[in-house]
Amino acid sequence: MISVLSYGRLVARAVLGGLSQTDSRDYSLVTASCGFGKDFRKGILKKGMCYGDDACFVARHRSADVLGVADGVGGWRDYGVDPSQFSVTLMRACKRMVKEGHFTPSNPVGILTTSYYELLQNKIPLLGSSTACIVVLDRQQHRLHTANLGDSGFLVVRGGEVVHRSDEQQHYFNTPFQLSIAPPEAEGDILSDSPEAADSSSFDVQLGDIILTATDGLFDNMSDHMILQELKKLKDSNYESIQQTARSIAEQAHELAYDPNYMSPFAQFACDNGLNVRGGKPDDITVLLSIVAEYTD
Amino acid sequence: MLTLLGMFYYICLRRRSRSGTRGEVLTSRRAVECNQRTLPLSVEVKQYAKEVLDFSSHYGSENSMSYTMWNLAGLPNVYPSSGDFTQTAVFRMYGPWWEQCSSMPQPFPRMPLSFHSQDYIELGFEEPVYPTALEVLETYHPGGIVQILACSLNPFSQNPPSDVRWEVLWAGKPTKSLNPQARQFSPSIKQISFATNLIRLEVNSSMLDYYTELDAVILRGVKERPVLALYKTPMLDMSDLSDGEDEDRELEACYGRQAEDAKRGTGNGYFDKLPYELIQLIVSHLTLPDLCRLAQTCKLLRQHCCDPLQYVQLSLQPYWAWLSDASLGYLQRCCTMVQRINLSWTGNRGALTVTGFCSFIKACGQGLVCLELSCCHFLTEACLEVISQTCTGLQELNLSSCDRLQPQSFGHIAKLTQLRRLVLYRTKVEQTAILNILTFCTELKHLNLGSCVMIEDYDAVASLLSTRCRSLLSLDLWRCKNLTERGLADLASGCRLLEELDLGWCSTLQSSSGCFQNLARQLPRLRKLFLTANRTICDSDIEELAAGCSALQHLDILGTRMVSPASLWKLLRSCSGLLLLDVSFCSQIDARVVQELSAHFPAVAIKKSFTQ
Repeated sequence: MISVLSYGRLVARAVLGGLSQTDSRDYSLVTASCGFGKDFRKGILKKGMCYGDDACFVARHRSADVLGVADGVGGWRDYGVDPSQFSVTLMRACKRMVKEGHFTPSNPVGILTTSYYELLQNKIPLLGSSTACIVVLDRQQHRLHTANLGDSGFLVVRGGEVVHRSDEQQHYFNTPFQLSIAPPEAEGDILSDSPEAADSSSFDVQLGDIILTATDGLFDNMSDHMILQELKKLKDSNYESIQQTARSIAEQAHELAYDPNYMSPFAQFACDNGLNVRGGKPDDITVLLSIVAEYTD
Repeated sequence: MLTLLGMFYYICLRRRSRSGTRGEVLTSRRAVECNQRTLPLSVEVKQYAKEVLDFSSHYGSENSMSYTMWNLAGLPNVYPSSGDFTQTAVFRMYGPWWEQCSSMPQPFPRMPLSFHSQDYIELGFEEPVYPTALEVLETYHPGGIVQILACSLNPFSQNPPSDVRWEVLWAGKPTKSLNPQARQFSPSIKQISFATNLIRLEVNSSMLDYYTELDAVILRGVKERPVLALYKTPMLDMSDLSDGEDEDRELEACYGRQAEDAKRGTGNGYFDKLPYELIQLIVSHLTLPDLCRLAQTCKLLRQHCCDPLQYVQLSLQPYWAWLSDASLGYLQRCCTMVQRINLSWTGNRGALTVTGFCSFIKACGQGLVCLELSCCHFLTEACLEVISQTCTGLQELNLSSCDRLQPQSFGHIAKLTQLRRLVLYRTKVEQTAILNILTFCTELKHLNLGSCVMIEDYDAVASLLSTRCRSLLSLDLWRCKNLTERGLADLASGCRLLEELDLGWCSTLQSSSGCFQNLARQLPRLRKLFLTANRTICDSDIEELAAGCSALQHLDILGTRMVSPASLWKLLRSCSGLLLLDVSFCSQIDARVVQELSAHFPAVAIKKSFTQ
């Protein structure tokens, strides 16, 4: 009798152990990036992870994989300010923060807030503004935490369908929420949203989930359906395949952006609001494509 | 036959054994001559710093990654690039500028010639090793490091230390930087007898042209104790520095037997003919270890060396590594007339206890006028209570970087109503405590509240200063996040004698409110004004300063886009005594303008920092 109980306990333990075996392994994100700046003629040689006025980063830490995109607001160019400086510096600050472990995986808004305040600690007087979207995968908990400020965003695709997506934050047409540092003389006139205004969300992920993080240059030129078509071509979770798919998505968006007859999502939205336009929207395009895979060293 | 065989064997064996030993000796000598580092048993381990454990000051904000000391841990971020980058470790001060300010304390006599350190940083590494080399990656204005020490204590182990020893690995003099370019600094270090994973760098940037910036520290060492000395030979004579180790023993020898020998009188020959004051004068030039050694020579000289008049001003900062409760206990007997004492940097990692310190203060503190306790992490509220009760005539108190002192400790300072100089840089002093202090310490002339992050309302502090401390000469409000034009206006109208004002990185002050112009009009005695990283400084502010503050000597307007060369020309013409002008990252002031200004006004050091 006692031996039956103890045997039963052993079996139960083994079964449960076997079940939890699959859950106890850490997940990780295999990420590839691709993008195109709007204007090739600029000819300014920028370091990697910067496409036109967009910037992005991918960072790994013991406990989490983090990625982010930032879309620099181009209007600053008219005032003699390079719009990419702000987005690049913001993404670099986020990356450094993650690498040095000054963050909590469940609080991506915190990463944005502290990185934004770090920009103010720079001796160089930075000016400019950008949107920001941060995606954090908690390796052990298998949860994705996101923060989005503005009109960049992310999609989570599972089994060929979009299961999560971010919402755009706009003040009014073509004016997204943005983090900014304004020159002192124009402080009241420049739109400046607090990092705490970012939308945040958290949800569980499964192995094989595809996460697409991009700036509005992609979403304004390619509908969800077209993106899903491209993602169907992704067969495995090799870095090379992901890189290839990311490139094909970015290239397609880039081509469509300059097609004057194509009814892009941007044109559709404009029409819905009474503006009779057609064609794509030339813009900087940044695509970060990730797959949730098992963690290997 | 047998004897023949025996002889044959004997000869062969001896020859083999003799050639064998000779061969071994030859290879080992060759090894020494070739400076071979890799022995078959010990592998050289290369480590970056794991954690920054302690430091005396830094440029950046608490909780920030920019220009703070925590950047020195880990891999380099900037090296081999040169420039003023946020990802490096930067100290608070550089150059001769701070020493020229009246807020600096008087130097202490008897400073040993080998002690030059002004700042320090302590790093912990993962594995204790016997160090063979140490490299510091300096990325901007190198040349600040003056001393490197290693500790026998493992800061990450749970076991309490049995015996904490500090050994000097290398010491040098402060050097003038030839250029601001990055370099890898790897001095020849001394071989030590214990494994270490706690390294301390001491820095003096007084001869450098701008802030020195450090990126990373690499410690190379072996895990097993090396048998032969296979390192580069040290070029300095270490005997001067290592003698301090024996100070404890010498202090005991010096003061221990004083009482019993005082009764017996002896003839001292010609020494008895010299006037007492003359020998006292001669002895007053000796450093403390020499004083202890002299006291052991004969009873007359011991009487001179233990005379309380020799201990009116006492600086124990150069001997921080060797000071203990026992040392303070012995010093108590002679320090009955002490007026100024410097215990900065001492007592950490268990060397001084609260009881030892408090008994010293109770015994010798009645006449104390100046007490320097910078970076004394052993201090607790009880110590401050004893100080406030005993040292009622205290005029100068320095608690810089005592960041482990709890906020409630600072309330006791309000009892020191004679205070003229108070330094609370990087402490946890809170609103109520500082308001209390300012209400009662109305004689304050020099106040340093730099990086005091726990004070919520600096406007209230400024207003109280303007009503209670009207004789204020210098005020340091570096990185005070919530000072507005209201507080500044009160300050300017109340403290009309102000000569030094540091408002660096006070981002809430807006020039459009007219606060800086108001300042310039109301404080004509201003000699030092730091407006670092206030992005709102504009031409009208500079012109008002030129008109109102002709005594200006130090001005820092780093990082503003709104100052043009024309207003700087006006300023430099008007302020003939200007010595320092920092226009780094001012977008309208480029290198050509700096060159022209420097040519016209050669007495002014115009600083323009760069990133790349």
